[in-house]
Amino acid sequence: MRRAGWWGAALGVALVLSITLAVTIGPAEIRFDEVWASIVSHLGLGTTPLSVLRDGIVWELRMPRVLTAACVGAGLALSGAVMQALTRNPLADPYLLGLSSGASLGAVSVILLGISVLLPLAAFLGALLALAVTLLLASALGRITPTRTVLAGLAVSSLAGAVTSFVIFWTVTGDSYREILSWLLGSLSGARWPAVLIAGTAIIVIGIPVMATGRLLDSFAFGDTSAAALGVNVSGTRWALLGATALLTGAMVSVSGSIGFVGLILPHAVRLLVGPGHRALLPLSALVGAIFLVWADTIARTIFDPRELPVGIVTALIGAPVFAFLLARRSADA
Amino acid sequence: MSRLALPAVLVVTGLALTGCAASTTAAPEPTATGVSLDNCGTPVEITAAPERVITIKSTSTEMLLALGLGDRIIGTGFQDGPVPDEWATDAASIPVLSEMVPGQEAVLDAEPDFIYAGWESNFSDEGAGDRAELATLGVNTYVSPAACKEPGHKPEKLDFAEINREIGEVASIFQVDGTELIESQEAIVAGIEPDSRGLSALWYSSGTDTPYVGAGIGAPELVLETLGLENIAGDIEDTWSPFGWEAVVDANPDVIVLVDATWNTAESKIDLLESNPATRNLDAVKNSRYLYIPFAAGEAGVRTAPAAADLAEQLKALTF
Repeated sequence: MRRAGWWGAALGVALVLSITLAVTIGPAEIRFDEVWASIVSHLGLGTTPLSVLRDGIVWELRMPRVLTAACVGAGLALSGAVMQALTRNPLADPYLLGLSSGASLGAVSVILLGISVLLPLAAFLGALLALAVTLLLASALGRITPTRTVLAGLAVSSLAGAVTSFVIFWTVTGDSYREILSWLLGSLSGARWPAVLIAGTAIIVIGIPVMATGRLLDSFAFGDTSAAALGVNVSGTRWALLGATALLTGAMVSVSGSIGFVGLILPHAVRLLVGPGHRALLPLSALVGAIFLVWADTIARTIFDPRELPVGIVTALIGAPVFAFLLARRSADA
Repeated sequence: MSRLALPAVLVVTGLALTGCAASTTAAPEPTATGVSLDNCGTPVEITAAPERVITIKSTSTEMLLALGLGDRIIGTGFQDGPVPDEWATDAASIPVLSEMVPGQEAVLDAEPDFIYAGWESNFSDEGAGDRAELATLGVNTYVSPAACKEPGHKPEKLDFAEINREIGEVASIFQVDGTELIESQEAIVAGIEPDSRGLSALWYSSGTDTPYVGAGIGAPELVLETLGLENIAGDIEDTWSPFGWEAVVDANPDVIVLVDATWNTAESKIDLLESNPATRNLDAVKNSRYLYIPFAAGEAGVRTAPAAADLAEQLKALTF
């Protein structure tokens, strides 16, 4: 735990530094001191040295995008770690219960069918609907167990995915598929202050309480029976945590589309650093997720400047080799 | 999960990624009974002028209408929007085979002897079918050379000569005279006076979070250069490209060309530009310096020259 404490402090500093640096990087060349003078001026101190337009680049485009990246990365990594614990399945990710396919269906309906609902709201409602159907299906099959929940999630994902594909195939005209493509791959290019509000609120209201449930999740590690023997209300806890992470994921998906890799693999990477104990794993996963997504998105918006890539491509392209490297190093240590 | 929806998107992406560019191959060689040509790398042998034509995408339909060949079209598919008024009467009687890209069976059922597509990807397995396979069934296929994607066939940079070459090639396939149409196109282009105010422009095609813009080598660049405007995305070696809002704001273009499509109207683009706190301070947005072009006119074809002339008129009316 002591080692974890040091990691926590180091990663916390790294996150602050990452955000500080990432906002100064972008296709428009604006000096480090000008960027921060502009940000500080928006916090009420001094005046910005930048023109209205360049000030807008810093305050209306970069800052909300970097903060959204941090929140979404933290939320996804945290949700992934919790899902893996609750289902005792190392392949679990935040989207396991049909959340991303439900969100995508909601988003596709708005973008392609022109249903007049705000896109984040539609995505969020789609995610919740998919979750509800998954849990209903799982409970219709009998007592809710990890396996049943995962299988029900698979069924719901497949169905929502098929409907999404159908809507796309049936209605796409001209180049309207482009928007939906970047949504499906996961992108933060549309993140403005409302996205920060949504993702930040979700982290504070749901994420932080979930981070404190490490001891509870540790008791799940050896199965439901031993958790019950430790005095844990197994089914109630599982419902509550599934619901909480689903809400958290739903909020993240609603602002960024379904960004892959972060929730699935970062918790494993953190386990390689600090071991499987959830009291350290949950907060550290959140920190690593935040740092990772801030940099992945910085790469996504700058590497092919002035073009932009959907960040979901970057997370998988960087993340997979890094993870393979960590695995190889661990087996070399062992 | 998202990955389950991806195959469909990738198929559709394939349809569009193959749009828009031009061929550098030589003019068709007349043979004793018809023409033989290399179209985007596919050999096409025409022994008699096609009588039953299916057109896919607006550019191909409009090319035939402009050549006075509307009566040869037995069906259209995947049209981008209504044809210009001058051809509306001719187009009214043409049956619509499919709102989207028609499938193989629908295409064969109509018994065409020639399929003329705007994009190479229209001839996919999910679309009208494989070109070689269609050829064995006696159906000739043709893709707008400006939209060839294969290296060696994709034009380095589109110009009006390339569009005129396509007019000539299509005219020779149908054994009609394309000279008049080519001359009228040349006259339109010659009549456009490039703007000399040293202005820059953004060609805003679609997209909200990530704007999709006209880049450096396709029809948008050709039109912008003809107008005397400097494309802020002109350095990108592509016909169209995803762009970033930060780069747009950084460049602060003098005018914005808004592509008007039914699925993404010019109106919706203005709403977005004016509501986004980062873009509402752009000079072009603050002063409503917009030029409008219908989506179908934005792709290389017989509407490129008239569209450029129309944009030039709109540009003249803007004050700075």
